[in-house]
Amino acid sequence: MAIRLGIDVGGTFTDLLLYDDATERSFRAKTPSTPEDQSIGVIDGIRQISEISGVKPADIDLILHGATVATNAVLEGKGARVGLLTTKGFEYTLHLAKSWTPGPLFGWIIMDKPEPLARLDDTKGIVERIDARGGVDTQLDIAQATEAIKDLCGSGIEALTISLLHSYANPDHERVLKKIVAEHFPDIPVSLSSDILPEFREYDRAITTVMNDYVRPIMHNYLSQFASRLDQENIKARLHIVRSDGGLMSAEAASERPVHTILSGPAGGVTSTAIIARKTGVNKLLAFDMGGTSTDVSVILDGEPTVARSTEVGYFPAKVPTLDIRSVGAGGGSIANVSELTKSLRVGPASAGAKPGPVAYGKGGTQATVSDANVTLGYLPAKLLGGEMTLNVDGARAAVAKIGTAIGLDAEAAAQGILDIANETMLGALRLVTVQRGLDPREFGIVAFGGAGPLHANAMAAVLGCYPVIVPPNPGVLSALGFVQSEFKNEFVQTLIRSGDEFKADELWSHCRRLQKLAGDWLDEESVAPGDQSVRYTIDLRYEQQGFEVTVDLPQKAIDDDDLERVLSSFHDLHDRMYGVRFDVPVELVALRVVAIGAMPALIEKAPAGGADANPDDAIIEHHPTYFRGTWVDTPNYDREKLTQGTTIQGPAIIRQYDTTTLLLPDHRAEVDQFGNLVIWPTDGGKNND
Amino acid sequence: MTSQEVDPITLDIIENALKSARFEMDEVVRRISLSPVIREQHDEFPMICNERGQMVVGQFGSYIPEVLQKFDHQVNDGDVFIWNDPYASKGSISHVNDWCVMMPIYHEETLVGFSSIFGHMIDVGGKVPGSMPADSRTIWEEGLRVPPVKIFDKGVLNEGVLDIMLNNSRTPDTNRSDMMALIAGTRAAATRVGEICDRFGRDVYMQACDLLLARTRQAMQVLIHKYIPEEPVSFTDYVDDDGRGNGPFKMTLSIYRRGDIAVFDWTGTDDQAEGPINFHIHEGLCKLFFGVYMIMAFDPDILFNEGFYDLFEIVLPEGSLLNPRFPAALGNRLNTHTRFFDCQAGALGQQAPHLSMAAGYGTSPHFIFTGHDKNDKYFQLVELLFGGVPGRPRGDGFDGASWWPLFSATPIEYIENYYPVMIDSYRPIRDTGGPGLHRGGCGIEKIYRVLAAGEISIHDDRETIPPWGINGGMYGGTSEKYILRVGQDEPERIPSKFDNLKVQPGDKIIYRTAGSGGWGDPYERPAAEVARDARHDLVSREMAEERYGVVLDDTSQVDESATEAAREKLRKARGPAPKFDFGPLPQGIMAAAD
Repeated sequence: MAIRLGIDVGGTFTDLLLYDDATERSFRAKTPSTPEDQSIGVIDGIRQISEISGVKPADIDLILHGATVATNAVLEGKGARVGLLTTKGFEYTLHLAKSWTPGPLFGWIIMDKPEPLARLDDTKGIVERIDARGGVDTQLDIAQATEAIKDLCGSGIEALTISLLHSYANPDHERVLKKIVAEHFPDIPVSLSSDILPEFREYDRAITTVMNDYVRPIMHNYLSQFASRLDQENIKARLHIVRSDGGLMSAEAASERPVHTILSGPAGGVTSTAIIARKTGVNKLLAFDMGGTSTDVSVILDGEPTVARSTEVGYFPAKVPTLDIRSVGAGGGSIANVSELTKSLRVGPASAGAKPGPVAYGKGGTQATVSDANVTLGYLPAKLLGGEMTLNVDGARAAVAKIGTAIGLDAEAAAQGILDIANETMLGALRLVTVQRGLDPREFGIVAFGGAGPLHANAMAAVLGCYPVIVPPNPGVLSALGFVQSEFKNEFVQTLIRSGDEFKADELWSHCRRLQKLAGDWLDEESVAPGDQSVRYTIDLRYEQQGFEVTVDLPQKAIDDDDLERVLSSFHDLHDRMYGVRFDVPVELVALRVVAIGAMPALIEKAPAGGADANPDDAIIEHHPTYFRGTWVDTPNYDREKLTQGTTIQGPAIIRQYDTTTLLLPDHRAEVDQFGNLVIWPTDGGKNND
Repeated sequence: MTSQEVDPITLDIIENALKSARFEMDEVVRRISLSPVIREQHDEFPMICNERGQMVVGQFGSYIPEVLQKFDHQVNDGDVFIWNDPYASKGSISHVNDWCVMMPIYHEETLVGFSSIFGHMIDVGGKVPGSMPADSRTIWEEGLRVPPVKIFDKGVLNEGVLDIMLNNSRTPDTNRSDMMALIAGTRAAATRVGEICDRFGRDVYMQACDLLLARTRQAMQVLIHKYIPEEPVSFTDYVDDDGRGNGPFKMTLSIYRRGDIAVFDWTGTDDQAEGPINFHIHEGLCKLFFGVYMIMAFDPDILFNEGFYDLFEIVLPEGSLLNPRFPAALGNRLNTHTRFFDCQAGALGQQAPHLSMAAGYGTSPHFIFTGHDKNDKYFQLVELLFGGVPGRPRGDGFDGASWWPLFSATPIEYIENYYPVMIDSYRPIRDTGGPGLHRGGCGIEKIYRVLAAGEISIHDDRETIPPWGINGGMYGGTSEKYILRVGQDEPERIPSKFDNLKVQPGDKIIYRTAGSGGWGDPYERPAAEVARDARHDLVSREMAEERYGVVLDDTSQVDESATEAAREKLRKARGPAPKFDFGPLPQGIMAAAD
């Protein structure tokens, strides 16, 4: 039994959600974010939620925090000055960045390449060399190394990365260097590539480790500042940070390995979607999080989020386990424009952001955005419920009309066009996570959240056939809700490149047992009760010499029964399903991963009041002209708070609530289910395939 | 059907959907293929065509009508075609290493288009490993030639054809999976096109394809009038040699506008070479190359397709380097291919040097190492290297980067895991980036140490003719190669094109590619940037002083007053910045722009 607090720091607002296991009650609060020091806004929020809930700050047991400081530092180029030690002769690894240039032919003409995260001035080569099998080709030159370290560490760097060739196969030299640094410069934080990413491919390993150091001082400062503020408020709660793969790590671990928080922010919504899948029984779901500048989508399979091995933060790759979230540059603030030469309409990726924002917000925006198109068609009401803001409908319409003039369409058709094109971009992302992986979107439902998700999700479903559309009760705090229900999670990896005769089951099982021990120790350290502990095994396999691995589950039973064949056969099947082909060439083992999991009790939500006989008309705020399929229709606008369990309403309709607006299209109906979700189906359809 | 049936929004949506499908093709191929050349270096090129075989999205040009003609238009659902003979496919691909697959796309039994990809196979037989002999005199020496055949006939694999193709390769397993990867890529496109037809209606889809072609044509019309003068402009550049001791080979391009039509005339280009540098180019591809350059240089928002073909007229003199007679050798055509682009940039750059790019490293440098490892297993490393990507209006060029789209370097840790070789160092070469307001990218130096006895082959260019600078920018550094035999102190220079040099464990090969030309007046480059380049060991102090007029002290700090004086002096001596700087050329050679 505990009192848990979830904190989601967004670009504009900080959302908090407090849950008390004992009373089964949850409370939420929202305060403006304070980008100069996020902890100020967070503390404000804690005071506020304490007032609302009557829970004393000192009584909070656990704080589960989605941290965006690392992401922002990389995206804004505001990280620390990082020094880099590499193998001599390979100082330019980051500068060359794999030599990649974009397509099509001549794509380099318009390429922009940012400065590496560790500058060349701060990079030093060390005389040493390990070979691909982990053997020492050239001994580490301690004298030269010490000199280089003194030179570099005395130059004002704030963190140091050590990334030597083949250190995944033999980390000795990296460790010796770390010791030398600790002797002379005990205050400089050091990351070893063999710790952060013990996998082959030198650029990926180096950039990921450097990124860790690039954000490390910032994360460290933030967390220590936050800890002292908590102290001042007499809050004794344990602080945990949400990892990019949706798991939790201690604040201490996050200080050491902040690169693991690089997709911390969007993870909460995905975790919530997985929980919705388990609760509603719709166990295949698409998470659709549409915000102001971008949209994040991901897949829930059998009630579990899918995990990817790498992600990109702006220009830079980061090879860390992350929830497999695809992000596209389409959101409410995406700007529409017309190409001069071809007269084609483009929407985004440029965004009006929070400032100047869409024209409708009256904060100085002049270019038509997706939100302005929604206003023009009557989908976004002029007065947002619970908000103080009144939208500038005429301004939005004029901006959209201007786009229409350029392509010979009236304002309504232009608005519809802007929405269709933005929707298409988001559909592209949804296709990427489904059909491109051999998954049929028609077997999925879709969960809409983020400020703009519920406005667009019905249209997504109409094209992809992914029903039902589920709009949870509080789409605006879905992330914070996910955080309070996140599991403890950590991954233990062993790179083992083995094929042919070298690929032996015995060796694999013995590594399984070794990593399982590490996993258990970690869970104990995180104070996870034995009953809540579990481990999962996966192995990365590929056809010999293929460059990309397929991750296959390794069931405990296969280990117990010494049944490697079964694992190989699931590899062939999976490869066939994903890529439509299987080969008769040797299978190669690349890595073993053991994931330690500490369960967190689910939140129990009380169903909203009401009954089947409730009259939805009581919830109508007003009727408002709204544009569907070429005509204006007088459309009811409902108050979401007044829609009770079991109520069904027919589309078209607009459903307004404090933090979002849901658009219910014609020929669709929405029901309120026992958890308070709005569940949208086509009028003539019904059941999900599951 | 009238053009009114597809509204502009639907058109934009179909354009986006086709673009996504085209990138999905890449992704599928990349994930499945075994050879690092396709997978790590992305030497594969996809496209989606309409039912007449015109490319609607993709990145190379369409050759499908020629193939269909050969089959008398007898195509069926489930057919997959394959070929690798440049001559039998009219230059659709330009050497036998490229295996091209193509399949018709049907929607409810109606032909709605084609998808096609070609990719580089690491070996297709012939007299040397890698199948690109540096000294071949005929295509007969370059491996098995397959004319367009059906590898799948109504969905049934033609095992015989496949057996013959694989039986003639040194790397049959890799080729088999790489071919399957290419086919999987074309199938992915077919599936997506089918879905678009389902969603919008087949007629709408097919008409949208036509409209997308028309839209690009219209935009190109504007570009032609804006950037191509009626008065001819011409440009001459050279390929070093043909690998058989002949050369340099001259390439001359003249461009002018006749009414709405842009004419690209290669008259003046040298006759075909004895060696394998001939570039048998399909006229359509030729048009596409000009088109895509104009789009990227002048308005990158335009969708890249072949809608504008009828606005271009191409003159390729028969029997020349660009239109060789069968059975001229073609294996090493990338030098000529790249020089083609250099001439194009130079000629178009005369009208608008401020919008144009300098010359780059000028080929696709190859390193091939074959032999038997300690378990007596045959190995064949084929690696592509990179060099200087030129100075551009947008900014500096890139050091040791790929001129070719979407390629990337094979990780050193990958190479060392799978081949008996170690890399001793890998870095950009100082002073090979042409000075300019925007500096040209530097060439790259890779030092290979071989761990097993075997043979190496090298293909490179720009060893004698430097990459030129533009708009005041200066020429960049040339390429060079050395071998340092185990036990020797002095490295020995080796040529830029040769095959099968025997190597022993411990021998080192020092592979240096060319840099690239600079863009804009180097005397205008901010001194702090020159100082930074010097700190990064990309520009020497001498270079900074002599070519940029930037005087640096021992710690690479700028001496402001000395710099001002040096620049003043240099400006006076030079006069107005020249449009082009060709650098030192071998005797008797005249590069020219007029």
